Amino acid sequence: MSVRAPHLQDDTLLECFYATRRGEAVDPPSAEHLADCASCSSRYAELGSFLAGLSEEADAEVSALFPPERLRAQQSDIARRLELVGRAARVITFPGRASAQAASSSSSSSSGAGTGPIVRSRVTRMASRWIAVAAAAGLFVGVAAGTAFKFGPRVDLAREGRRSGTAAPSRQVMTSSQSRLSPAAVEKAVVDMDDMFMSDLEAVLERPHTGELVAFDALTPHVREIRDFAR
Amino acid sequence: MVERGELDDARQQFEGLVLAHQRRALRIAFQYLRDAAEADEAVQDAFVKVFSHIGSYREAWPFEVWFTRILINGCLDRRKARVRRDRWIVSGDDSASASLSDRRSFAAAANAASPQADPETRLLARERRARMTAAVERLEGRQRTVFMLCHYGDCTPREVGAMIGLNESTVRVHLFRAARKLRALLGGQP
Repeated sequence: MSVRAPHLQDDTLLECFYATRRGEAVDPPSAEHLADCASCSSRYAELGSFLAGLSEEADAEVSALFPPERLRAQQSDIARRLELVGRAARVITFPGRASAQAASSSSSSSSGAGTGPIVRSRVTRMASRWIAVAAAAGLFVGVAAGTAFKFGPRVDLAREGRRSGTAAPSRQVMTSSQSRLSPAAVEKAVVDMDDMFMSDLEAVLERPHTGELVAFDALTPHVREIRDFAR
Repeated sequence: MVERGELDDARQQFEGLVLAHQRRALRIAFQYLRDAAEADEAVQDAFVKVFSHIGSYREAWPFEVWFTRILINGCLDRRKARVRRDRWIVSGDDSASASLSDRRSFAAAANAASPQADPETRLLARERRARMTAAVERLEGRQRTVFMLCHYGDCTPREVGAMIGLNESTVRVHLFRAARKLRALLGGQP
């Protein structure tokens, strides 16, 4: 009595299909079973036709989308891209310089002179450099002068003096009469100077510390001014 | 040759490689991307990348394994980029589950496959391919990769294992599950 081998599993059938497709030898016991068993043979045929159908559909689709001329075009595209491999990257010039070069080349083509445009472009470049240097020097001189002379605080003090109306006249009196006053008067002038200094100090302390707010401060009334006005 | 700086000779030799692997590469890339233009670009990129990094190729595996791995990585990057891009595009109709490029490719393939066929045949072919594509798309990521490489890329499970970093038996399991699921989805007929 012979014992019949169990039917082949689906995964075995799948392996048989792919082995056949790749042209490899099928596992001998499986091949023997497929030859003997009608049921497994029909299952194998069914699986094979399903998978082969998938492949055929896919092949047809790709063949339709990529005909020989497109394949050739792709080969030439690849060849063109490979030409660029190993070459140094192309540096694109800055647009301003590029446009200057274009202008010079166009003028050279129009004039026909060989060295004229080159000399002109050199002159333009030199001029632009000198302008840049002059701008930097001007900025430096301006900053240095501003630091040395302190224009801002002096103007503010003068305005404060004009606005308060008391300190400035006393300062004028003091400066005009300083040379011809007696020691007592000088002592009084010193006291006045101290008062003026203290009032200036007070004004500075009351003034906003942010430069941007000075204009607003000048426009708005101060408590001190209201108080003086009330008196 | 590339390492020695003999680039012109290397380019000439490389043309042979392009001819040998181009069709298979296009088949794999198109199955991944479902867009002819993108597949074209992905294959070009893969060949250029292979040429410029040929020095890092080790002969432990055949060239096609290395090349296919590069190609698949490129295709996966493109798929990710497409997903990111599609996230920002608001579709106007409800039937836009497939992207515009997909639909364009299906139509082009169906029309170009049999230009002289009658409209009914073309329509049926188009529907059949759409059904197949949808079924393959429904496979789980690894199953889909394994199936595509084994079925469309003609790779052995061993080679696929080397490409995607799985062992051979795992690849076989994924392949079997993918085929079973496809048969269930397509009703035994492609």
